[in-house]
Amino acid sequence: MSITRTPEGGEVLRLEGLWKRYGRVTAVADLSLRVLAGQVFSFLGPNGSGKSTTVGMILGLVRPTKGRAIAFGHDMALNPWPTLKRIGAVVETPAFYPYLSGYDNLRALAIMLDEVPATRIDEVLDLVGLRDRGRDPYKAYSLGMKQRLGIASTLLRDPDLVILDEPTNGLDPAGTAEVRQLIRRLAEEGRAVFLCSHLLHEVQAVSDRVGIVKRGRLIAEGAVEELLGRGHYLRLRTEDNGALARALDAIPWVSHVEYLDGSVRAAVPPARAAELNKALASQGIYLSELAPWETDLESVFLELTGEASQL
Amino acid sequence: MTQLIAVEFFKLRKRMMTWVVALLLVGLVVLLYSILWSVSGRVTTFGHDARFTGEELRRALFLQTSVPFSLSIVGSFGIILAVVLAAGAVGSEYSWGTVRLMATASRGRVQLMAAKLIVVCGLVIAGALLGVAVGLVYSSIITFTSGGSNFDFVTGAFIRDQLESCARTLFVLAPYVTMAFAAAVVGRSTLAGVGSAIGFAFMEPLINGLMRVAGSPWEDIPRFLINANVQVVLLQNSLPDVLPHFGPSRRELADRHLNSPEVAALILGLYVVVFVALAFYAYRKRDITAS
Repeated sequence: MSITRTPEGGEVLRLEGLWKRYGRVTAVADLSLRVLAGQVFSFLGPNGSGKSTTVGMILGLVRPTKGRAIAFGHDMALNPWPTLKRIGAVVETPAFYPYLSGYDNLRALAIMLDEVPATRIDEVLDLVGLRDRGRDPYKAYSLGMKQRLGIASTLLRDPDLVILDEPTNGLDPAGTAEVRQLIRRLAEEGRAVFLCSHLLHEVQAVSDRVGIVKRGRLIAEGAVEELLGRGHYLRLRTEDNGALARALDAIPWVSHVEYLDGSVRAAVPPARAAELNKALASQGIYLSELAPWETDLESVFLELTGEASQL
Repeated sequence: MTQLIAVEFFKLRKRMMTWVVALLLVGLVVLLYSILWSVSGRVTTFGHDARFTGEELRRALFLQTSVPFSLSIVGSFGIILAVVLAAGAVGSEYSWGTVRLMATASRGRVQLMAAKLIVVCGLVIAGALLGVAVGLVYSSIITFTSGGSNFDFVTGAFIRDQLESCARTLFVLAPYVTMAFAAAVVGRSTLAGVGSAIGFAFMEPLINGLMRVAGSPWEDIPRFLINANVQVVLLQNSLPDVLPHFGPSRRELADRHLNSPEVAALILGLYVVVFVALAFYAYRKRDITAS
């Protein structure tokens, strides 16, 4: 059933200067990125930032105004059908036939996909913990169960690229943890996972790379560690934080000095922390605290999207 | 393509709406037969100038005219059911959001639309045959309980005529079915499909009447619309005058300047082609988003 997978690290998806305009509204602007096999790429952005439009263009559902979405070497705007066999996707919220059971929904999909054996339906239902409820009508499912069925549908054809949109939405903590593990496992098995989310702690836990989009424009992209390391902030504290801040302002390689939570936060190149301490001591400022400012993706996201709005 | 047809059939077969539509059709045929059977036993004469007798009405319900009468029910009331089926088959995909699921799982937009249309047409044909079958069963009961069990009328020409009647009736359903289908695709909803096709089916005769009254150049327009041509085609079905006509009578139609059956069929065929082309074009060219 499975086609030869793209080798780990091989390019699965490439977006080249992708644009989508609806009249005067620009939904996606000059978006370029790459997704590699064996990686979880998280696509972050506030509501209305163009995430779903981008996924639509990747799947050939939405035609780009300009640029190309290339999956497995094929331009998805030209002939997406052969390539779609290698992609499992849930766009926005999972959508299935309400009058069919979860099992029958997957069966309908399996009939269309042709190469899916009937036993695979039970396998994927088992994988997402829906085997016992598989015969219940979809309309009776909770949001979490719908999400699980959505994930099951993406795995039905053993895809090389899995696209998930807010996959843990509606799941309980145990379910969320299971889905996180599943996402990691999919990547470890050599698949590429394109994860759209605004649950930033979730993204931080499972992602290898992150792209942050705002108003259709990619404003940051990189490995999670790279984004978390943006600015390399230090937490500094002394008896007179005012004097400390003035001293920091005078140092040319220190930037973004601000008071936060009774401390002073400043962007300092990591290799120069000791040099900074020495420079302050030479001015009679002795630090009671000098530590890396613990940051998370949420802070980075808010900072970046905040910056973007001022551009 | 086979898989797409199989899955469309699977979905419609599992859907309650399909069975409700079938049940309504069966109920309609049974109800109309029951009313007429009941009336035929109670009235002496009826109709314009009291020219028909109750006995004539009962004889008209016998097997000999069962097919054209059942088809006249299918060709009039059945339009509503066929339109609901056609519009629902495509419009619901938008309202449920499954249009994206289907589009990413299928082998092409044109194939997906074609499979839907084929299955809808198949079910409309099955529905029409069901209506005829129920009519035949009920008519058999009336025939045998009224001492009319004579099958001398079953000749080769008779069977050919019945088959032609079936084909004509299904043909006149096609413009409405394809209109509902196209409107549901363009409007991305069941309501758009049902509203436009049923609206057209019911409003057109009224507007046609106004146009005929308005004189030249308005009076010629109905000849190029759907309903007038549907009536011309259905007129070829050999339905006895004693049975109710769900539309203008033979006499009323004779007073109008209507197209020949061939021209009427051609015009209706053109409507079908235009509606199918519109549905395919809209689905192929537009971005696929839920409604």
